[in-house]
Amino acid sequence: MAYKFTTTLFRALIYLFLFVLLLVTLAPIWLLIVNATRSTVEIQQGVAFLPSTHVFENYGILIGRGLDMPRGFMNSMFLAIATTVVSVYFSLLTAYGMVVYDFPGKKIFYNFILVLVMLPMQLSIIGFYQYMSKLGLTDSYWALILPSVASAGAVFFGKQYLESVVISDLIDAARIDGASELGIFHRVMLPIATPGAFTMAIFAFIASWNNFFTPFILISSIKKYTLPMLVQTLRGDVYRTEYGSIYLGLAITVVPIIIIYALFSRYIVSGIAMGSVKE
Amino acid sequence: MQTLAKFRRNYFGVLFLVPFILAFLLFGLFPVYNTIALSFTDTTLMTSNANFIGLKNFQRLFADGVFINAIKNTWLLWILNFIPQIGIAMLLSVWFTNARLRIKAVGVWRALFFLPNLLMPAAVASLFFSLFSYFGPMNQFLVRNGFLPEAMQFLQSKEIARGLVIFIQWWMWFGNTIIILMAGMTSVPLTLYEAAMVDGASATQMFRHITLPLLKPILIYIFVTSLVGGMQMFDIPYLLTDGRGAPASSILTNNMLMYLKFSSSQGHIGAASSVGVMIFLMTSVCSLGIFYFLRDKDSKISHQMKF
Repeated sequence: MAYKFTTTLFRALIYLFLFVLLLVTLAPIWLLIVNATRSTVEIQQGVAFLPSTHVFENYGILIGRGLDMPRGFMNSMFLAIATTVVSVYFSLLTAYGMVVYDFPGKKIFYNFILVLVMLPMQLSIIGFYQYMSKLGLTDSYWALILPSVASAGAVFFGKQYLESVVISDLIDAARIDGASELGIFHRVMLPIATPGAFTMAIFAFIASWNNFFTPFILISSIKKYTLPMLVQTLRGDVYRTEYGSIYLGLAITVVPIIIIYALFSRYIVSGIAMGSVKE
Repeated sequence: MQTLAKFRRNYFGVLFLVPFILAFLLFGLFPVYNTIALSFTDTTLMTSNANFIGLKNFQRLFADGVFINAIKNTWLLWILNFIPQIGIAMLLSVWFTNARLRIKAVGVWRALFFLPNLLMPAAVASLFFSLFSYFGPMNQFLVRNGFLPEAMQFLQSKEIARGLVIFIQWWMWFGNTIIILMAGMTSVPLTLYEAAMVDGASATQMFRHITLPLLKPILIYIFVTSLVGGMQMFDIPYLLTDGRGAPASSILTNNMLMYLKFSSSQGHIGAASSVGVMIFLMTSVCSLGIFYFLRDKDSKISHQMKF
């Protein structure tokens, strides 16, 4: 009896702790979204936890001061989709080559990829910038998209995933039917690997969407600014006292990700659990 | 005949790796080589002639206190967020996986705790800048409820600025650590716990002698990835204040120092490269150190346990 009582008490305390932690986790995000709907005057009057009705007013101020938020949104979207497609396709291709074929040096290549996942980007970014500027690619999205052909983290994930779904009989059957090796990858393997590819795609998309440092170093013309770079300009003097529109600008960058998470959290959580998904 | 075809086919696999290898050589390896080469020169973005100056860039880094201060800051900000991060994540993972406690809706709690990890760091830093600004909600709340006599400039205090960076990092990463720890804990065979219970082991004993040893590879993984990420910290401290680590360089990190040298009016990319190389050396030595010191010294025991 006593034993049961202490367990119940302990459980109640745990729930209390979890609830406080949840409040700490969500309060900043909730305040961001609520304040995006409130006018500057309302925000100055005090803290509120219920949304107001000034979204469109805030939006007018936000885009009315030289900050092209819709363009930044489209830039970020384009870049995220392009990077995602490139990195998922080529990472699966690389992973497939490692899982299905046996060639000398395979193990070394795999270990090499494991090391690459860990490599900090400081070691390459300055050299990368100088080299891109010599090629005239500094203010171009190519310099952001092409490197994702070699995304070590995605290859690592892809290999783990393919190992669990590849059916060698199916590949042999396709070979007997006269399919080419690359044709087998496209027509047999990709459809089977779709769930894994989807998980990889979510991670690649979010990583690109949130990436600030690399575009910040490489991109110089305002027309090509991505959302995180616009967030930085949002801090400037033009918006100094327009709190409502600042919060709205931040909300625009964050809400798409929250929606993706709400829809696909299962994929994301299992992807994290499955191992180091870095990019 | 058949073996020859098989042999040929296996070499065909190498072709699948060609795009990766090419992209890696062009966009991964060559830039690394280039950065290392630049770190021995006085290259700037403004002039075309560059001279080999040996280790001068590195000597200059240690000549004043700026670089050492940046390293100290980076370590401080990382360690002080990592300890509560792993602590709280461990506590929650143990509770969530405990069969006796039977916490409800574990998946939902976990998913919600993880949410901040996915938000754009640049936006998060700007959000906290707004929340803690002079006219921001934090001041309003504290003054109205009598916790503070008058509004204060949070971001002009060294301790509060550092505390905020640490809090944000913790806030963004503890959910991630929970997911990884739980994946490790649920892979421990239940029979081990059953056997221990039969032997009359307490919950603490089971945690110390079963969970922790078997969790070691996962702990090393968390430790190293967090360290590598922490040493690269940029977005949050950069956007929380003026981008130069204000107040008084208290949140100036390694990566910010590299960027400051890169974006200086002359564009000293030689000097910036030397910062990058130093961070890399420091990170590698520490990561290898973690692997070395935490490696399985008592592998016999865990071998038996894995069985």
